[in-house]
Amino acid sequence: MIDADALRKIIHIDMDAFYASVEQRDDPGLRGRPVIVGGNPQGRGVVAAASYEAREYGIRSAMPAARAVRLCPHAVFLRPRFDVYREVSRQIHEIFAEFTDRIEPLSLDEAYLDVTGSEHCQGSATLMAGEIKHRVRSATGLVASAGVSYNKFLAKLASDADKPDGLHVIRPEQAEAFVADLPIGAFHGVGSATEAKMKRFDIHTGRDLRRHSLAQLTDWFGKAGQHYYNVARGIDPRPVRTSRVRKSLGHETTFPRDLADPRRMVEALERLAEKVARDLARRELAGRTVTLKVKYADFRLVTRSQTFDRPLATGTELAACMPPLLARTEADTTPVRLLGITVSALEPHTPENAGPQLSLELL
Amino acid sequence: MRLEIQRDQLLEPLQQVIGAVERRHTLPILGNVLLRADRDQLTLTATDLEVELVAAVEIHVDEPGAVTLPARKLHDICRNLPASADIRILADGERATVQSGKSRFSLATLPADDFPAIGELHDARALRLPREPFKQLIDRTAFSMAQQDVRYYLNGLLLELDPQAIRTVATDGHRLATCDFPLSGAVEEASQVIIPRKGVNELQRLLGSAEEDFLLELDANHLRASIGGLRFTSKLIDGRFPDYERVIPSGTRQQLSVDRESLRQSLVRASILSNEKYKGVRLTMTPDNLAISAHNPEQEEAEEQLPVDYQGETLEMGFNVGYLLDVIGVLEDETFTAGFNDANSSCLVEAGGTTRCRYVVMPMKL
Repeated sequence: MIDADALRKIIHIDMDAFYASVEQRDDPGLRGRPVIVGGNPQGRGVVAAASYEAREYGIRSAMPAARAVRLCPHAVFLRPRFDVYREVSRQIHEIFAEFTDRIEPLSLDEAYLDVTGSEHCQGSATLMAGEIKHRVRSATGLVASAGVSYNKFLAKLASDADKPDGLHVIRPEQAEAFVADLPIGAFHGVGSATEAKMKRFDIHTGRDLRRHSLAQLTDWFGKAGQHYYNVARGIDPRPVRTSRVRKSLGHETTFPRDLADPRRMVEALERLAEKVARDLARRELAGRTVTLKVKYADFRLVTRSQTFDRPLATGTELAACMPPLLARTEADTTPVRLLGITVSALEPHTPENAGPQLSLELL
Repeated sequence: MRLEIQRDQLLEPLQQVIGAVERRHTLPILGNVLLRADRDQLTLTATDLEVELVAAVEIHVDEPGAVTLPARKLHDICRNLPASADIRILADGERATVQSGKSRFSLATLPADDFPAIGELHDARALRLPREPFKQLIDRTAFSMAQQDVRYYLNGLLLELDPQAIRTVATDGHRLATCDFPLSGAVEEASQVIIPRKGVNELQRLLGSAEEDFLLELDANHLRASIGGLRFTSKLIDGRFPDYERVIPSGTRQQLSVDRESLRQSLVRASILSNEKYKGVRLTMTPDNLAISAHNPEQEEAEEQLPVDYQGETLEMGFNVGYLLDVIGVLEDETFTAGFNDANSSCLVEAGGTTRCRYVVMPMKL
């Protein structure tokens, strides 16, 4: 039933309360205290990370920061220091790279490693996971949880099983029992909407899911039915993707107060354009399609995009597209709460492949 | 509204304005043409919100009124009626009837009051200009406009009016074209406007007519040209055009002169084997000789030799052959003269005549 999958060895590494732990590491005064890293609690910020002390108050990631304050008024609120987190991320990736070159980063603090065929630790994925945890702690002073299994879905569940400082292994013969008891919302690909739908069909656990035929699941969930059928049996054929091909790149910002003045909006977009341009430059990319995202004060969301005949890469170029795109929205009459810029139709871009044609110095 | 009109009398103004009707329009009414019948005149208006065309024809109107009708359908009906046909148009409420002989068409209308006509300009300056030189200013520069550049102000043509001359400038960032026509006293103060690409194309068509001169009006947001019963209005691009003078070389160290037609033919042949993406050709200038060569990724090669008047040091440069051919294509002099400084600097072509033109073309890295 598990066939070729059983031959793979996948490790999922997830840093524990990453941003909050970095802050507690760098400021001993924060240790043992509820620490919340995220946006402004006086405004519309959200929680990016909460220390374990804060989680005892029911604080979770993505929760509005204002709500977190109400749950735990004495928590320490900090703004994220992404430069520091990125540096730590770089350090842990160097450690991963010593064990395998098949690494799929999911975020700064989370990655899948395919260690199938690796010679380290006599080929034992469990020993490798332990070694990685140890190396991460001595290099960064931070704690990671690791999950080991034969596919990505189970490896991720495993890393969550004994958090914090966990190392959990799901062997092929244990998979069935593990999956059977799992609440339906914990399955890969089941978000809150699907969870509600599953519950309407009286599916609450993996065991319930497994009772239904592929035809029945496809009938209920369309193409995703196959995936649910598979995961109920511990099957997940998705490979560890070494480099995820980016299709788009963007930034957005929710304003502390709705913006009503189009000039302020253009200024905000100029700042976003610079951020997007920095990301493009870091990845040596440029894109031909630019999309403006506008969320009005009443939460209606619209996008406007334009495609150009040559790829755009600089902040000045991106900012220059904004006034005409903004003019195609209701921004002149309706206040906005969020603006975003996305660049797609990406292609590699370095000064060398900008082409041989020289340009006039137009100012 | 009720009127009777000959088929050709209606077809001509309809054809004149239909260019402004977009095939893919965002508002249903933009697919319509506005018909306004006054006592002895019918005017037709079409717009895409960027450009507007109004044509007028003198006819007898039985009952004045205004209505909008589907532009392409009306045009197609009219075009397919016999040449000498008389057409009766009756509009009343949501339907309009177009009748000719034994043919009868009932068309859906939209209210004339909803039509986004530009109307009168505000605080416009008006000047009467000679048609032919003005058309030349546009024809000789418009090809250098950017296509869909993020620098939206480059996707148009700069029109500059000053007390001594009228000037047009277009650039896509790789090459620049500017042309001026000396004209004293047309305006008292210098001013600049940028006409969007679509407006420039319509203006070129409009100025193809036979009239001696035409009326140009400018307000803060619009350019309007009226010629022989046709009125064209374009919105202007709101932006600052770059300081173009600073990219025009003040002098060049080496001059090359060559028979224009021979150069054109050689470049066209060489371009067949140039790289399709970059369209590069190599020019090698030595005393009295110009070698033109091109090659493509398949390693095919073209080489041309031309006798030229050139006395400078040996100079090798790469150019987008399309940029050179565009310039050669709008010039009329038998001899083509270009100035160069070095392999990484722009080339300058100057040409005289009724209008004085200057072309700046940046080279390619070899």
